[in-house]
Amino acid sequence: MSKTLKALTSAALLLPGLVVQTSQAADPNRANVNFQYTRYQEGKRDLLGVRSDLNPIMVDTLHGNSSFLLTDRLRFSFGYTQDTWSGATPIAMTPFASTAGNKEFTRTLPTGEVVSGASPYITGNVELDRDFNPLRQDPIAGRVVDPRTVLVLSTASPETRKQGDFRMGYEWDNAVVNVGGGLSHENDYKSNYGNINGRFDFNQKLTSLKWGGAYTNSDTSAILDHDTLGYVTPRGYPGQLVFQDRLRILKGNRQDWAANIGLTQVLGKSSLIDTNIGYTHSSGFMENPYKATTVIFIDPEKNSSNSADILRGDVKAVLEQRPNIRNQLAISNRFVQHISPFDAALHLNYKFSFDDWGINSHTFEGDWIQPLFDGWTLTPRIRYYSQSAADFYQPYLISNQAFLTTQPTTQLFDPNKLPQDFASDHRLASFGSLSGGVTLNKRLVRGVELEAGFEYYTRASSFAFSGGNSSFADFDYYVANAALKVGLETLNLNQVSRNRSASAAPHDHAAQHDHPVIPAGIMFGHTLDRAGDIMVGYRFMYARQSGDILRGSHSVGDMEIVNQACEGTEGCRLAPQSMNMRMHMLDIMYAPTRWLNLMLMPQFMDMEMKLRPLEGRPPLNPGGHEHPGTPHSTGGVADTIMMSLIKLIDKPQHRLHLGLGFSAPTGSVDQEIRRMAKAEGGIIHFDMQLGSGTWDFLPNLTYTGNHANWYWGGQLYGTKRLENRNESGYRLGDFFQASTWGGYRLTNWLGASVRGVYTLRDSIQGDFNTFNARSGPMDFPRNQGGQFWDLGIGINAKIPSGRFVGNHFAFEWLQPLRDDFNGYQLERQGALSATWHYSF
Amino acid sequence: MKLLTFILFLLISFLLAGCVNVAPWERGILAKPHMAVDPQPLQSGIRQHNYGSRESAASTNSAGGGGGCGCF
Repeated sequence: MSKTLKALTSAALLLPGLVVQTSQAADPNRANVNFQYTRYQEGKRDLLGVRSDLNPIMVDTLHGNSSFLLTDRLRFSFGYTQDTWSGATPIAMTPFASTAGNKEFTRTLPTGEVVSGASPYITGNVELDRDFNPLRQDPIAGRVVDPRTVLVLSTASPETRKQGDFRMGYEWDNAVVNVGGGLSHENDYKSNYGNINGRFDFNQKLTSLKWGGAYTNSDTSAILDHDTLGYVTPRGYPGQLVFQDRLRILKGNRQDWAANIGLTQVLGKSSLIDTNIGYTHSSGFMENPYKATTVIFIDPEKNSSNSADILRGDVKAVLEQRPNIRNQLAISNRFVQHISPFDAALHLNYKFSFDDWGINSHTFEGDWIQPLFDGWTLTPRIRYYSQSAADFYQPYLISNQAFLTTQPTTQLFDPNKLPQDFASDHRLASFGSLSGGVTLNKRLVRGVELEAGFEYYTRASSFAFSGGNSSFADFDYYVANAALKVGLETLNLNQVSRNRSASAAPHDHAAQHDHPVIPAGIMFGHTLDRAGDIMVGYRFMYARQSGDILRGSHSVGDMEIVNQACEGTEGCRLAPQSMNMRMHMLDIMYAPTRWLNLMLMPQFMDMEMKLRPLEGRPPLNPGGHEHPGTPHSTGGVADTIMMSLIKLIDKPQHRLHLGLGFSAPTGSVDQEIRRMAKAEGGIIHFDMQLGSGTWDFLPNLTYTGNHANWYWGGQLYGTKRLENRNESGYRLGDFFQASTWGGYRLTNWLGASVRGVYTLRDSIQGDFNTFNARSGPMDFPRNQGGQFWDLGIGINAKIPSGRFVGNHFAFEWLQPLRDDFNGYQLERQGALSATWHYSF
Repeated sequence: MKLLTFILFLLISFLLAGCVNVAPWERGILAKPHMAVDPQPLQSGIRQHNYGSRESAASTNSAGGGGGCGCF
């Protein structure tokens, strides 16, 4: 058989569904881009009647990935994921009858607000009977046995994790090899990983053998929250604890090796089976540094002569200790069957795993993928999971020794009398879970697909195969997500069939017009040429502030800030040292007519602010608490912009368009700083909120012109807040920006631009209607806003022909020339904008 | 006991190999997108991440990585 024929036959035999898929894999399109947003929300934990005001865990995730062919056989994929999570997590478990646990409190704040909730206490004391059952003092019955255990919840400030990964794959006729890697980064955990995997096809591609291997190296650097874990005895971690800025930091390293093999086998015309085996070997620091195990110390000396048959125990907590090694093995079997009368596909999956920690698990999943009319597909799914407990899992330990002896010398307890390994993480307990969900897909024109999913999950100790006993740790969650999937090269093919001018090859579309080149930092600058055109784009913006605090445009020293910048208080205590803001925006544009473009721009932001103590600040109030070293961070969905662009002048050399649109307040404005050591954190600074909280009107006017290789333009852009106050009691100032730019087309694919920008931002009106710590100039509305002058330098690139025609990239650095703040603010260092867009 | 179940599984899976011959022109149904082994990779990605953060089962997929202490 000739080589060409062999290749063609091979391609024809290839079933797209058998291509090795991973969680980041592309669908069989030759090139695609996907954007996805997910919201994960847990329900409240059962604290046995104690009312807690701590929010359950909530996570906002943003994910994007892209995959495309560099050559006919070489495929490159990359992905980015960002999650911001916040909420209360269990740090330990304790007998409900002990004095430790979640203790209710009620407090009146300086603003007059009354706050009530529950604080975590991991130390205390408890009475036990001779069989070590916890005893509770009942008003009527006296001492009664109360065997219940309760989770002790502590809250954490929002934290953002960022992950980037890539993969390069080469495809032969009957085999594929992929090499990839990535890194994941968050404040307390950094992880790097590399993997290699591949596939062999046999038997006319009816059989595929898959193989893979991966290595992960992770470093933990956890700040032990002294609020709760300050009471924890970190025995067993000599040499791993570091002290810095009055904080205790626990460091650890962990390595994971994984290998997997699998087999996909076609069973018949409408069914196939996919089997996988995975082995993982993990070693190093396997603990969760934020989890402790309660140990009840029963001092034999103090309890021996007790005639009332009651033991008095000292409730303490020790950081958990897991084995240094873990070996896991898992096998999964998926069966896919086509159901002809419905044209549906039934996917059934069973996975069994076991490890040397004693955890066995079973997973049963079933998906029914049902294509409906008109490009809609509905997929209901159900899943049942059950796991057994780890050998060293214990809600709490009882130790027959004193916690601390003072005679003859002061001595802590003997750690050798405790089990070598122990952990109270509820994820190591025995439990089962049941979840059900549904996914809805809609294929639109030209390779664009929308996907939305929802799942409800409930974890219940009673669902475990062999029965569990951790029902106090039960919880549930729901997940909702939405995604936009764009198949790029399918679009190019469709353009041909849309009957463009017969002589123009499809990729001339990009080169036909002298498209105005817009600097990356300008929004609403692009318009689409033809009715029915669609544009998808991604915008990233990074802005940084650091350096001096300015009043107006002059640097000021700490003394002036302390005395002047925090009116109505004794003086400022902290000032921002640096602030980083990152914004991700998805631009979706559609032209229903030639002169009208509609845009939808969802945004996702994450920010962090580092504070520093001011010299000469007033002394701390008794009971007050301060840890300026840890940065504040927030992240999540920001406001969503809906814009219409109306073309006023549309000539080859001059274009003018008017934008009328709105910003919807989908970004939260009630982000808080966590409670620390009985001091309320309060609502976080104005700059750290995720949105404006108000509906805003966004008018703009953009002019662009070009001649030969020169192009120029200008834009007026404003924001008018349509509401007087948002739900947190204030509204952001109105905003006006004027830009002018000029650029030169260096080659047919590269251009450079220079831009001048003037920005006017009014100060914040109103003020927080809830407690704010007022610790620095960033917490006062009158300091906000100002006038700014910037210089932008940018580069624009477009791919004029070939496989990737139609992709545009732009970058711009905005250099601040002058700041004239209304009050006291941190100097601006600059902003970077990077955009990608693709029109079709 | 666990190892036995595991090996049994392995054998059954491999016994099913090579038991049919489906000609290329008969593969229309198998080529449908919803017949793929992982037809919704974005959804599987989220679910794997969520389940991995709340459960202790091992994975058969070694291609992923990263993730934090306790992954929220």
